[in-house]
Amino acid sequence: MPELAESTVVRKSIRVSAPIERAFSVFVEQMETWWPPDHHMGAEPFQSIIIEPRIGGRWYERDANGVEGLWGFVRAWDPPHRVTLSWHIGPNWKYDPDLATASDVELRFTPEGPSATLVELTHSGLERHGEGYQQLREILDGPDAWGRTLEEFAKAAGLKATTRETSA
Amino acid sequence: MAIFDRLTHGPLAVHELAATMPVSRPAVSQHLRVLKEAGLVLDSKAGTRRLYQLDPEGVARLRAHFDQVWTRALRAFEIAASQDPTLPKEKKGEQKNAGTGRKHRRP
Repeated sequence: MPELAESTVVRKSIRVSAPIERAFSVFVEQMETWWPPDHHMGAEPFQSIIIEPRIGGRWYERDANGVEGLWGFVRAWDPPHRVTLSWHIGPNWKYDPDLATASDVELRFTPEGPSATLVELTHSGLERHGEGYQQLREILDGPDAWGRTLEEFAKAAGLKATTRETSA
Repeated sequence: MAIFDRLTHGPLAVHELAATMPVSRPAVSQHLRVLKEAGLVLDSKAGTRRLYQLDPEGVARLRAHFDQVWTRALRAFEIAASQDPTLPKEKKGEQKNAGTGRKHRRP
């Protein structure tokens, strides 16, 4: 059943109208400007999301009071082409320090001309998050499971909700 | 998660799993219990044997969760990245260690 093994991998790709350097920079250096604001680990909303730019660097959120919440670590760092991160957040949106239960997020940036970039995301090893999965059921079964739509998010971010559906 | 990987090839009993792994049988049982409680593994009786197999529905739900997280995040990223970079950006008055003006160059 090799397809079952593949079923614990999420693959996404998206094209953005930006040069590769900008696409990379917005993703890893300005994550708090676009990451859905209700996806945070701390008690308070994040003010910034930081990826320390080196192998072994931390990936963490920080709230307005300076309280930090660790998301994972940098495993590969090749700007602006590729970055690999360990993801230590279970489906219950809590940090799990055990490396054996962390999954892997790989991001690849490929230029498609001077002002367009293909961004490919692979999130693998999802089965390692099994222990937080009970809470996931409650989350997914709850009312308004993933709450706000893209349009609402875009409005909150002060942007126009005119997106193109390009994710694969 | 080695146990999960082995079960992708089909149902197995605890001793069959333990025989191919560098961990004790109780450790395998404990891990299977976690996977079962998480809804990722099913068990069934085949004669005197208890067999463990992956639950495709449970696995699909786990994947769907992360699929949703990234679908939503990447759409928002697309909006942010495709903005006109000459427009003033909304910053939150915080100095980031990576430096917002930093340019990445190809090696």
